[in-house]
Amino acid sequence: MNAIEELSKNCKSLENPYVTEWKSQGKKVMGYACTYLPEELLYAVDILPYRITGRGITDSSKADSYLSRVNCSFARCCLEAALDSKFDFLDGAIFVNGCDHIRRCFENWEAHETAALPFMYILPVPHRLSENGYEWFKEEVSKLRAAFEMRFRVKVTPENLKKAIAVYNETRRLLRKVYDLRAGENPPFTGAEALILVTASTLMPKETFNQLLNEILKTIETKPQEKNNKTRLVVAGSELDDPEFIENVESLGAIVVSDALCFGARSIWNLTDENQEPFDALCRRYYNHEPCPRMAGEFKRRLDFVKDQIQRSHADGAILEYIKFCDQHGTDNALLKINLEKENIPVIELERQYGPLADAGRVRTRVQAFLERIG
Amino acid sequence: MNSQPKALERMVEAFKLGSFIPEDLDFESPDVKLLLDSLPERRREMFITMAKDPDTRMISNVFNQGMGNYWESVLTAKDKGKKVVFIPFNFSPEIFYALDMVPVGVEVLDTMTMTLEEGISPYLDLSIERGLPETMCSAQRAVVGMLEAGVLGKPDLLVNGALGGCDPNTKVFEYMGEKFDIPTLFIDVPYYHDKRSFKYYEQGFKEVVKILEEVSGNKLDEDRLREVCSLSNKANELAMEISDLKRHVPNPVPNYYNMNHLATKLTKLGTQDAVDFYQMAYDRSLDRFKKGKHVLPEERLRFMFMYTGIYFDNSFHSWFQEEMGISYIMDMLIFSDHVPYIDLRNTDTMLAGLAAINMNLPMTRQLKGKNSFHGGWISDLLYYIEKYKADCVVFTGHTACKQVWGVYRMVADRIQKELGTPTLRMEADGWDSRTTPMEVLKEQWEEFFETIPKYHGEN
Repeated sequence: MNAIEELSKNCKSLENPYVTEWKSQGKKVMGYACTYLPEELLYAVDILPYRITGRGITDSSKADSYLSRVNCSFARCCLEAALDSKFDFLDGAIFVNGCDHIRRCFENWEAHETAALPFMYILPVPHRLSENGYEWFKEEVSKLRAAFEMRFRVKVTPENLKKAIAVYNETRRLLRKVYDLRAGENPPFTGAEALILVTASTLMPKETFNQLLNEILKTIETKPQEKNNKTRLVVAGSELDDPEFIENVESLGAIVVSDALCFGARSIWNLTDENQEPFDALCRRYYNHEPCPRMAGEFKRRLDFVKDQIQRSHADGAILEYIKFCDQHGTDNALLKINLEKENIPVIELERQYGPLADAGRVRTRVQAFLERIG
Repeated sequence: MNSQPKALERMVEAFKLGSFIPEDLDFESPDVKLLLDSLPERRREMFITMAKDPDTRMISNVFNQGMGNYWESVLTAKDKGKKVVFIPFNFSPEIFYALDMVPVGVEVLDTMTMTLEEGISPYLDLSIERGLPETMCSAQRAVVGMLEAGVLGKPDLLVNGALGGCDPNTKVFEYMGEKFDIPTLFIDVPYYHDKRSFKYYEQGFKEVVKILEEVSGNKLDEDRLREVCSLSNKANELAMEISDLKRHVPNPVPNYYNMNHLATKLTKLGTQDAVDFYQMAYDRSLDRFKKGKHVLPEERLRFMFMYTGIYFDNSFHSWFQEEMGISYIMDMLIFSDHVPYIDLRNTDTMLAGLAAINMNLPMTRQLKGKNSFHGGWISDLLYYIEKYKADCVVFTGHTACKQVWGVYRMVADRIQKELGTPTLRMEADGWDSRTTPMEVLKEQWEEFFETIPKYHGEN
């Protein structure tokens, strides 16, 4: 089994051997659900940040009785896993008020005494970028830090934080190399493989991940390049941690060469400034990183980011996907489509459900027609 | 698309016509019967709702007069050199009046589309056809559709101060701003409801006021601001008096007041028209109290909407009032016990007061943060149900309200546990009759009422 296959296996279930190994050392694991959480604070004190998703959940009937059919299937799958005690290996969960669905998912989880974890916390992130907003965010991050320091009897220091920042920056640099290679004429990674790498990085210790990715990159560098004439696509939109979705698209004769996803480029593109005071630098990095559609008034920046990904990866078109009922991405996608088409970039909008191969047939039909159109 | 030009002109006409209903109107007279028969069904129902009860009739006259003036001011703004600003329902309009600007509540404008011959549906559909997801809120989608159809002029500015309370509400402003190239301002709303949060919001509000001064070309004048805030205080005081009257069993306040109250507070607070409306509503309600008047034949149940109501068809107000004996006590959009009084001492205190009003407006107050916070949806519902003695609470299930749907069960369970008040969850869309038509809603309400012992005269 090669390294990517091994990582891929870890992405298919909620708990994985890296988490088990971490816990066997008596260390804590903290779930989180959004890229606005400054993970390095946890990693600095040997708490493993683990990104919560609903992977592997195929039935959400328990969650449906608390959330509803108008709440997105991602939030419902996460809640289902929580109510089913599938996150019991976590020592806590930190959510962000990212959208209406996920914050209500958190509240329902927290309210269920049988499912709630020992540490449940929501980090309120402002919805606008401004200096006042930044100060608010920094205060909130300080409050969060104080809360978990007290709960787990740990102390974030400038030294351990600096070290964690360096590790995380290294992860982002390595993943950025993957994106650079994909942007070349003959991408050595498929889009599905790239998604596996990014997803895996959120589920395991970053230092171990960095070692593995370094090995993968060395192997790739020595491997002869294969000619690739496939239609090159960029994927942007809602939460997507499902490599099978990308495989489904790529099986039709396309290759995904970049993305603008929170399980993707948006989470790795910005580094933390290692020459500044670490706590402030970290807060600034997270507050100002490539914005999610939840950040009001930042559409132009999001548009530029998608356009930049299309240009640098020489993409032939873009898939704008969103999970049904996700108004944040649904609305953004509508605007992205108008703007990209104005620049003669072919675009397809795909409404989807969260989950492995959910809607696979419909997605295939639509993508196939799109590929024929852009030929 | 079956749309017609000049939407605002037709709204002005409709409201002006509706402001001269004679007090002694006799529904049994042949002339009135002939008039009713000549109206299309939707307009006939609307007329009956506002005109059948003599007190409602007189309150609606003043309301319609004020609304006619209001839409006329929107219509003539450009000619008068005034800037038009679109705002959401959780942004109080006073600051715009103080700066001689014209605020337009997007949800109110959306609702008023009902007065047009073609109705709201073509505009709801057009907004989707042109790109907006169908899961976005119908309370704003018709306005997007009207802009798309070209039956409505573009505003000069968009201001949204509802971030965090509702995703569709925020995103639709960003969408309108980007798609129709309209400058857009946002005020961040913090997650919490405490002193620190008020300060944060106030800071954002004051920054927006500075930009409004630039856009309007008018410097904020303290005397003018005081005049506007004083009128707002007066209107809110009267609204509170009316709410107090609602606490009586039976409730003397006519059901349709709620609808008029909602539109007035969203568009006209800070004007004399608003004070005139509330004064008339108060005088008539007090008179009804003194005369022992109430819903007919008797008050069988006191009804509360848990969140938003139904706006695509007003007929249920009079059906409740004239036939069913259902007293419509409250809904979350007209919860007003927490509206702060504006301190008129100086510009700073008045701006702080307006910011505090915004932070306490429905949805912003209850839904921006955790549901279980004090001042959150649960605590406010428990307070209002108890204080206004509601016998039943209904969640209409407005499709776009994902943040409310996401905690409905927790809320309903808590109401049942703490107060024993029955709740009903429906699946309706407040502005789109096609999701669940009024006939079906009425059937479901009746079935629900049948399950409540008090409806049958039992305790």
